[in-house]
Amino acid sequence: MTAQSAGLALAIALMLAGAIGAVLLKEVMRVMIALGAFLFGVAAMYAYLGYSFLAIAQVFVYVGGVLVLMVFAVMTARRADGERPAIVSRHDVGSAAVAAGVGAMLFLSLRTAFGDTSVPVSRSASDLASELLGPRLVAFEAAGVFLLAALVAVAVILKGGEER
Amino acid sequence: MTSFLLGALWGVVGVVVIAGGAVIGVWWERKVAGRIQLRYGPQQIGPAGSLQMLADVPKLLFKEDVVPSGADKPLFKYAPLVVFAPVAAAIAVIPFAKGWAMFDTAVGVLFFLAVPSIEVVAILVAAWAQRNTYSALGGLRAASQMIAYEVPRALSVAPLVLLAGSLRPTDLVAAWRWWWVPLLALAFLIYLISSIAEMNRGPFDLPEAESELVAGYFADYSGMRWAIFMMAEYGAIITTSLFAAATFLGAGWPFDGALGVVALIVKAAALVTLVMWTKWTLPRIRQDQLLRFCWTVLVPAALVQLAIVGVVLPWL
Amino acid sequence: MIALAVACALFSLGLYAVLSRRDIIGVLVGVEIMLGAGSVLLASLGAASGASSGSVQAIGVMVLLLAAAEAAVGLSLLLSLYRTSGRSRVDELSEVSG
Repeated sequence: MTAQSAGLALAIALMLAGAIGAVLLKEVMRVMIALGAFLFGVAAMYAYLGYSFLAIAQVFVYVGGVLVLMVFAVMTARRADGERPAIVSRHDVGSAAVAAGVGAMLFLSLRTAFGDTSVPVSRSASDLASELLGPRLVAFEAAGVFLLAALVAVAVILKGGEER
Repeated sequence: MTSFLLGALWGVVGVVVIAGGAVIGVWWERKVAGRIQLRYGPQQIGPAGSLQMLADVPKLLFKEDVVPSGADKPLFKYAPLVVFAPVAAAIAVIPFAKGWAMFDTAVGVLFFLAVPSIEVVAILVAAWAQRNTYSALGGLRAASQMIAYEVPRALSVAPLVLLAGSLRPTDLVAAWRWWWVPLLALAFLIYLISSIAEMNRGPFDLPEAESELVAGYFADYSGMRWAIFMMAEYGAIITTSLFAAATFLGAGWPFDGALGVVALIVKAAALVTLVMWTKWTLPRIRQDQLLRFCWTVLVPAALVQLAIVGVVLPWL
Repeated sequence: MIALAVACALFSLGLYAVLSRRDIIGVLVGVEIMLGAGSVLLASLGAASGASSGSVQAIGVMVLLLAAAEAAVGLSLLLSLYRTSGRSRVDELSEVSG
């Protein structure tokens, strides 16, 4: 096994194990850790594909932002010293069948649309800069406005909750 | 496969360097604190008490490993390691000499900045695993503080990236000129302050405020697991000081080669001492002051510095 | 081909979480997994098709921003809901006006 394929296997194993854990585990902090493993796996996948900037950004935004936010919400909404809080879920055949069906359909259609994949080489962050500040400048600015809107929305939602 | 083995080797080297540095750092902190408080600090074992930590390490290793009965055992046991690992990983991207770092990657600066994000999650998990209100509060404080100060910290490094035109730490070292120091003085100050807040050290040590929260997010830890938290703290001081010395202060300048590495380490040691000096002379600030200072002073100041560099850049 | 299969498997895992979890936080975790699956798929297809790395990473960064905003708004909704009603389960929340 080469270092390349070992890296790919590691990334895929992390993603799958993390996702399975995040979907099936009960205790809420373990779900968060499994989600963290999944997000790390995605970062590893980006790194394997040669998108090193995206890989670090993934760790920065997802692990440092989204995941911390979720753990924060869990810790403020539930008591840390009480009984072990579990995430309630109702496992039934219907939802499993729907999920598996959608996944299989996606795979079949994607396989016919895109053929075999090959292994790429390294890419740099300056490509991304010229892309984001060049042809995609409008999208980039729109994303900034969108984030600001989300920030304001969060402030309004939490403020409203306090007043009631 | 060789690249994997090389990576593993550098990983071991990084952990050993950080652990050894932490041992020296604890001794040095006790000496500095002693001087500031008009006492001697450790002085019995070895010259100037320098072998004190060699005596303390076995003590910590042989202490009973207490796990609270109510704790979430696996999370409690392994969270400290995840707190320490990213700190040790950060040393990999630090350019020790011209054009050389253990892991010289094109996104090294981002890598260095992303390290605390992993640490935050591990701190929250450790705080949660103890099932103890004090540590939960300490963990929440640590997380809010670390996330908030990540913003000015990243913004203060941005002017460097702008000037060098690269995210590769060795490129920053290569592009460095002496006039960067006066130009980036503000950014350097912001970097230092937000790094101190980022590693939860005084005067920003609210997460472990011993007078209100016992010891914050590691209240229930003892023995070697407690020592790992300490090692992470001192490791963070060392890596942030090394990074600042290498990028803001021109690495080995004015020397080259082996002498340059020595110069870099001397500069970093001076910064470490500065960080300790700050802790022992300034009183702890309040949570509201902490967050207000970040968002109304540091972030705007960092943006001003970024704008200045942006305006100056075309004439350079 | 492996990347395609993995991304689809991840997507259906996320979908299953959204369908089976009764807690909002569990549903959010499922949404994050689905978003992650989507961006892994985009990245691996981009790498395979030889698209410029800039455009692939630009799309990746956009998805990243979207996910961050989604998590922030979703979690603030969860927190304000929890504070006003003490509930955090999706099947208990049937009324529209609070």
